[in-house]
Amino acid sequence: MAEVVAASPLAAPRPVRRWRADDFIKAFFGSNALIAIVVLALITIFLFREGFGFFGQNLRNIRLYRRAGLEYVDIMRDTANAHAALSRGLNLTRKSAQTTESAETLARFDQFATAFSDSAEDLNGLVSDAGEKAVALRDALALQAGDVDRGGENEGRAGAPPVDEATTISALRANTATFAAITSTMAEKIRGLLKTPPTFENAKTKRTFDSWSKRVENYLAILPGTTKKLQSWDPDSPVPAYRAVTSFLFGRDWITASFWQDWYGIIPLLVGSIMVSIVALAIAVPFGVASAIYVSEIAFPAEKQLIKPYVEFIAAIPSVVLGFFGIAVVGETIRHLSQSRFFHWVGFFPISERLNVFTAGSLLALMAVPTIFTLAEDALRNVPRGFKEASYALGANRLQTIGRVLVPASLSGIVSAVLLGLGRVIGETMVVLLCAGNRIAIPDFTQGLGAFFQPVHTMTGIIAQEMGEVVRGSIHYRALFMVGLVLFAITLAINYGAQKLVQRYRMSIG
Amino acid sequence: MSNARRTRNRIAQTISFWLFRFATYAILAAATYIFLDIGIKGSRTLFTARAPFINVPFFTQGPQTLFVFDYEGKKYTLSDREFRAWKIEHPVEVEATSVAYSAGGVWPCIVGTGLLVIGSMIFALAVGICSAIYLNEYSQNTRSIRLIRIAILNLAGVPSIVFGLFGFGLFVIFLHWNVSLLAGWFTLGLMILPAIITASEESLRAVPNGLREGSLALGATKWQTIRKNVLPYAVPGILTSSILGIGRVAGETAPIMFTAAYALRDEMPWQVQRWTDFVFQGVMALPYHIYVVSSKIPQNEYTERMQYGAACILLLLVFAIALASIVLRERTRKRLSW
Repeated sequence: MAEVVAASPLAAPRPVRRWRADDFIKAFFGSNALIAIVVLALITIFLFREGFGFFGQNLRNIRLYRRAGLEYVDIMRDTANAHAALSRGLNLTRKSAQTTESAETLARFDQFATAFSDSAEDLNGLVSDAGEKAVALRDALALQAGDVDRGGENEGRAGAPPVDEATTISALRANTATFAAITSTMAEKIRGLLKTPPTFENAKTKRTFDSWSKRVENYLAILPGTTKKLQSWDPDSPVPAYRAVTSFLFGRDWITASFWQDWYGIIPLLVGSIMVSIVALAIAVPFGVASAIYVSEIAFPAEKQLIKPYVEFIAAIPSVVLGFFGIAVVGETIRHLSQSRFFHWVGFFPISERLNVFTAGSLLALMAVPTIFTLAEDALRNVPRGFKEASYALGANRLQTIGRVLVPASLSGIVSAVLLGLGRVIGETMVVLLCAGNRIAIPDFTQGLGAFFQPVHTMTGIIAQEMGEVVRGSIHYRALFMVGLVLFAITLAINYGAQKLVQRYRMSIG
Repeated sequence: MSNARRTRNRIAQTISFWLFRFATYAILAAATYIFLDIGIKGSRTLFTARAPFINVPFFTQGPQTLFVFDYEGKKYTLSDREFRAWKIEHPVEVEATSVAYSAGGVWPCIVGTGLLVIGSMIFALAVGICSAIYLNEYSQNTRSIRLIRIAILNLAGVPSIVFGLFGFGLFVIFLHWNVSLLAGWFTLGLMILPAIITASEESLRAVPNGLREGSLALGATKWQTIRKNVLPYAVPGILTSSILGIGRVAGETAPIMFTAAYALRDEMPWQVQRWTDFVFQGVMALPYHIYVVSSKIPQNEYTERMQYGAACILLLLVFAIALASIVLRERTRKRLSW
């Protein structure tokens, strides 16, 4: 009896759910089903974990850039670079005038060009002197702060020599007066040169030269402004925190491991990825959709039996093999074609680089075609029979039925197929790494379509190429993870959009 | 409708049908050109004119440096090992040009790729089938299940290089596995998982409901029903459609670049000191090897042999897998038609 009394509180009716073996099995399978969500979450977490420190390091990087006066020197350097660009403009004019002008004119022109490029000698000397000082100060400051990237970590803060920052900076800023003096003499020299411009017989050359002189005048006009900018430059004015983000998202330079200043701007990579995708889709969409229409509506059953498995084979080609084929065959073929007489009329031919946007894009098109083909064919096949029959009953022929009924009815399916193809293309690594040329620069869009025949670097390519070489934990390493994060976000958005489209499409027809 | 208009329509139809036909066959022709180019140039490496007709050293040796030199008016191209033997025989100074990776064979790469495929497929199939069983047999159409399905679809679209970065961040760095088979298995397994889940679910869905209901009506539990009446009919389909996943795992480069692959390694995977080291070693892999030989060394007559040979082997391997999957799929379809 005592036992019963003791047990009674436990025996009181409580809604205890008893776990049977089946529940455990169900829970086991359920936990496996969760893995997709877990993996997506883990990807996000780990990309953030490795990548997020980038912004802090980048901000320090930019602040140091200002504090050490690199920014100051870069203002002067811009002036020197603009002068160098003008000199290059003269050289180009010289090249085009080579055949049209007499030897005497050319000799005088050469004299003029040499005098012009010599006028910047003092300026270039000043920039390189000031640059050395600024870099020395930057390295000393980095060592003091124990910055990992500049190799200051091992020596530690104790070993770092004290830096007389104020003196160095004020010595650096004393260059403003020198700069003003040098530029004003330079401006005088150039004005003197322009007073006796070389003469040309050819009207076109003359026009080129006149437009060049105008550029020079603009250049001279902004010189005083640059001096003012130097005067108002202040090493202590704070760099706002958002600059760390904007310099990444909108930065137009991706420069790493340079002795001067590293920049991590995603724009050149993003532009490269987008241009490659544009080429790939411009080829793959017409071919993929046309072949989907052909197989689902026009082909004989025997043809269907042949084409569909064949496309599956194309989908199975490993991307690295395609990339190798691009290097070994396609690039060289495209360059040969561009040199042939048949394409002589194309303005930007012959091309100089065999590995460029077009090479990579045309191979990626072959990768995107199976995706687009399969999904578009599915979408076309899922159009209810009645649609087609009604169209025939109204007297339309097969082409009209395809163009006015079947394609519009399956349009959202086709668009989502194209989107998924885009997702595949933009995330593809090996083909662009091997065939896109890997030059980190925004292509020169002044050439029009010729920009599509220049080498670029892409987001996927840069990760694959540089990840193996960077120091773990460095700003460069974290920047690569940030690029991965951006890529991840873009592909997720594309995928999500494609799924939404498919859902809507099912509702409207199903 | 006027006769002229009808004729015009018919002409338009004929022309556009030919355009569609042209587009389709242009794709097939482009692909065929690639297959033939790599197949023909690669078969010069893989096969020989004399018995046994297969280039045995290419399949049994590791990659070596190639040495090219002239000696007494004859041109020699020797692999590293042969060159050393030759130098012992001929104690003279020769000026040899060395070309990395261009001699020897790809045996360690084939082994490495095989190991990566086996491990990652075991992992992906185990998790993928369990996940599909839950989604198809247990779950109701609730909000959380819809979320899981969305996650699976989105996971399928994540670029392979992002999987590589993720595997590097989680397995290589966070878990300190370093560059290892284990890290490669999980990275590749997770990458292929969405495809396996989708394929498994399709096979499970193809099993008629009558089989489940009959079993449940006889008093079997849910698990007994799944084990005896659903899985036996679904597993052949699951396996055949998963074969296509093998092809993808075998050909992917980006996920293993930082997680599992070495450019060059002298030891074979079984030459480890302790058996526990086996899973913690990096391996050479065929796709990564192709990347290395096509980007790190120049294109010339000496390197072409290795480049095309390696590309051809990988292509053949992947095609054999794809062909097996297509043939098996047709056969299962015929055998298991309800």
